[in-house]
Amino acid sequence: MANISLQHLDKVYDNQVQAVFDFNLEVKDGEFIVLVGPSGCGKSTTLRMVAGLEDITAGKLLLDGKDITATPAKDRDMAMVFQNYALYGHMTVYENMAFSLTLRKENPNVIHKKVLAAAEILGLTDQLNKKPKQLSGGQRQRVAMGRAIVRNPKVFLFDEPLSNLDAKLRGATRREILLLHKRMHATMLYVTHDQVEALTLADRIVCMSMGHVQQVGTPIELYDTPANIFVASFIGLPPMNFFTVKVENGTVSNEQLSVVLTEDEKQLLSSYEGREVVLGVRPENMEEGGEIPVKVFSNENLGMNTLVHGHLPGGAAITCKLRGWCDYQAGDTVNVRFAKRHFFDRESTNAIR
Amino acid sequence: MTGFSREEEKRIRLDRMRYTKNSLSSSLSLLAIVFNVFYFVSIYESDVGSWYYKILIGASIVYNLVFMLMVFLASEGVKNYRIGYAYLLLPVGLGQILRIFILPLQAYRATVTISKIDYPVMESRQFIFVVLWLALSAVCCLLAGVIGVQRSKKLQAYNASLEQTAA
Repeated sequence: MANISLQHLDKVYDNQVQAVFDFNLEVKDGEFIVLVGPSGCGKSTTLRMVAGLEDITAGKLLLDGKDITATPAKDRDMAMVFQNYALYGHMTVYENMAFSLTLRKENPNVIHKKVLAAAEILGLTDQLNKKPKQLSGGQRQRVAMGRAIVRNPKVFLFDEPLSNLDAKLRGATRREILLLHKRMHATMLYVTHDQVEALTLADRIVCMSMGHVQQVGTPIELYDTPANIFVASFIGLPPMNFFTVKVENGTVSNEQLSVVLTEDEKQLLSSYEGREVVLGVRPENMEEGGEIPVKVFSNENLGMNTLVHGHLPGGAAITCKLRGWCDYQAGDTVNVRFAKRHFFDRESTNAIR
Repeated sequence: MTGFSREEEKRIRLDRMRYTKNSLSSSLSLLAIVFNVFYFVSIYESDVGSWYYKILIGASIVYNLVFMLMVFLASEGVKNYRIGYAYLLLPVGLGQILRIFILPLQAYRATVTISKIDYPVMESRQFIFVVLWLALSAVCCLLAGVIGVQRSKKLQAYNASLEQTAA
């Protein structure tokens, strides 16, 4: 059992810079929560506050209903996996994994059993006698995870654990973390700036910007119904296209494009008649054969899809992700339609719902 | 209470040896070097004229260097359960006992005459300490060797049984 409750957490550093503002989150037992956001948004600070590595300026942190706001890190029963692995170079993999238990003076035979079990889970059995420098980045990260597993903590905390790995290894290790979570069903808090990691790993994502929580939801909620322009632009690759348009007589338009609204959209935007809103369209929500002309300036074939970068007649940049292999040349014009559209309030940047 | 049966405890202890170093033998070897250092630092304690200036002392100095090198290498070897190094520590330990009867005993029995007065080369107190350091060094070497041989043999047998099981 490990339910975590973060209640109105604030973090203000000694130099009066506030890194986290009023952070609220209820993490259920066995849940995989990913904190995502750009560098400097406060996600690592939040994780470090949960771990006990940063003091909490204001607010409360509860673990299974018990207030651990002022509890030292060593007494919180949480294990943290760092980006730089933090392994002891002079120790073997076995010794690294056994280290925390040895410090706790656990029975060596019990330690042995736990280390072997963790090594089995992580596929490190053949590497136990090696030193960290003899391992690849992915293997080192697995050792770091193994060190966390043997402690059998209530909560696992991951601080950008895959950032030091190359793309291929990152994908493989990501799948291992997912399997690990399924196998252990432990409560996990995971920090990343990589939206792919967030979307593939999380039960729920916490999207942050400038120290504020922007949206908390399942991956599909953040992708399909982003709360505001920030979330819409951060989640999804390539990012969503945005156009400022005016709502008039069942259409949204500007000097560059005009889109006829559906009945549902008309109802949604009824209170915005005559006003400007922000129209958001994901590149993958565009289809060939519509009424919006895009002048191509570059074409990236990805195999199954083609990324077409271009601009609208008025000059606004647009990226389309079209199905199949397309061979557009710079200067060609491709007509597209927006299959799915998002609307945001221009002032508040919040989604119009 | 760990919840393991005696048989299981024994098996786990053996299995642990596959991943842990023989640090007891290694530490004992290093301790033997430390006691040997105490020995050769304390042997030239008294000013006894030119008694020490002979071939024996030269050989002793060279042997001290060789001893330290051998035992240091052996400490690394036994740490990784290499049986050859464990066997090496046994004669080296016996050699330390033998050394008691060469230089310290000779020096203890010898006197030098300075201004027609006989002085003992080594006082009883110094002799006791010198013998103690050599004896301790010998005990450490022998213990390290015996433990090293035992553990290495156990590990070899266990690894062989694992290989058999795997085959």
